[in-house]
Amino acid sequence: MNDEQVWLERARRGDKNAFGQLIEAYQGPVYNLAYRMLGNAGEAEEAAQEAFIRAYTRLDSYDPAHKFSTWLLSITSNYCIDQIRKRRAVLLSIDEPLPPHPALHSDNNKGPEAQYLAQEREALVQGMLRELPDEYRQAVVLRYWYDMSYEEIAEVQKTTVSAVKSRLFRARRQLAESGMGRGLVPAEVEDEVMV
Amino acid sequence: MEHEERYYLMMMGALDDELPDADREELTAHLDGCADCRREWQALLAIDTLFRQTPLLMPAVNFAERTLALLPSSRLRVRALSAVYLILLASGIVPLLLALFLVARYAPILQQPALVERVVTTLVNVGRVAATVVGALLAGAGRFVAEQPAVVGLMILLAGFVLLWGGVLQRLLAQPAPIRVRNRG
Repeated sequence: MNDEQVWLERARRGDKNAFGQLIEAYQGPVYNLAYRMLGNAGEAEEAAQEAFIRAYTRLDSYDPAHKFSTWLLSITSNYCIDQIRKRRAVLLSIDEPLPPHPALHSDNNKGPEAQYLAQEREALVQGMLRELPDEYRQAVVLRYWYDMSYEEIAEVQKTTVSAVKSRLFRARRQLAESGMGRGLVPAEVEDEVMV
Repeated sequence: MEHEERYYLMMMGALDDELPDADREELTAHLDGCADCRREWQALLAIDTLFRQTPLLMPAVNFAERTLALLPSSRLRVRALSAVYLILLASGIVPLLLALFLVARYAPILQQPALVERVVTTLVNVGRVAATVVGALLAGAGRFVAEQPAVVGLMILLAGFVLLWGGVLQRLLAQPAPIRVRNRG
């Protein structure tokens, strides 16, 4: 039995400190997913906290046959999609400029140039993600930041593997077009490429 | 175009490292001769590299502690709510089932008018007895209040304590207030 299984077992019995260990271990992945989905630091933190609270209150329904991380990220991403739909329901525009993540303008370990480049890259990535439909964005984030397999993404999205492949296919095409439109690819393409 | 779609699918497979060697060679050969597909491939590669190099973001400091502080009552609350829900459910379903059982069991008897009349008469008599008892109790209570005001005052005080502790318990079981923490600045 590894540490995670021990913490889970203790948390199931109501040990909050054991669940605290799980929060420590997964705060980055959960927060990052919420941020990539919502594009806003404040909302992402609230969503991450809500995801942990939901996980804690629903621990009895967690099936240990599946990976805990997949289950937790599934709760997070589905909550984020609900939030995006609610946001649309109150007619807040998703296109309004969102504040960048605070870490991008307060990282003292990087020089000004590196900070600037990181901010630029972050703005580019979030801008491109924001243009994707919710389900496509969810699939892309789970694929790139969490290296999830098609099967795992299908489990999170409660859909089929072929639907996941289709979403990733369409999302990547859209991102590639967007990238070309933003000058991510040079106008002059190389004559030889490696596959 | 059809050929684009076919090679695009191969490009997706290549990005996910799931393309068989034979297809990989075919794709490479095609890209050497097709500038449009080469451009698409380079765009896909650029996106792939950009996204893979974009780091995982971390929440503000003390996130774990702040989240942990929100947990204590959550599971207790859910369990308490589940118990209340089950009790409410049972309080509706059990009498319903009992009534259905009684109706099914005694339906033949209820179809006899004489018996029904006797049952109604009995119920009316029971009601009269209950009304007499309640009336006597109320009259007795009225006299008691008039004769023993100090005892009545003590009882009201005790009821106040019960309500107060009930409120405290309710607060303990209440859902945590919505989080309004922002990690800017």
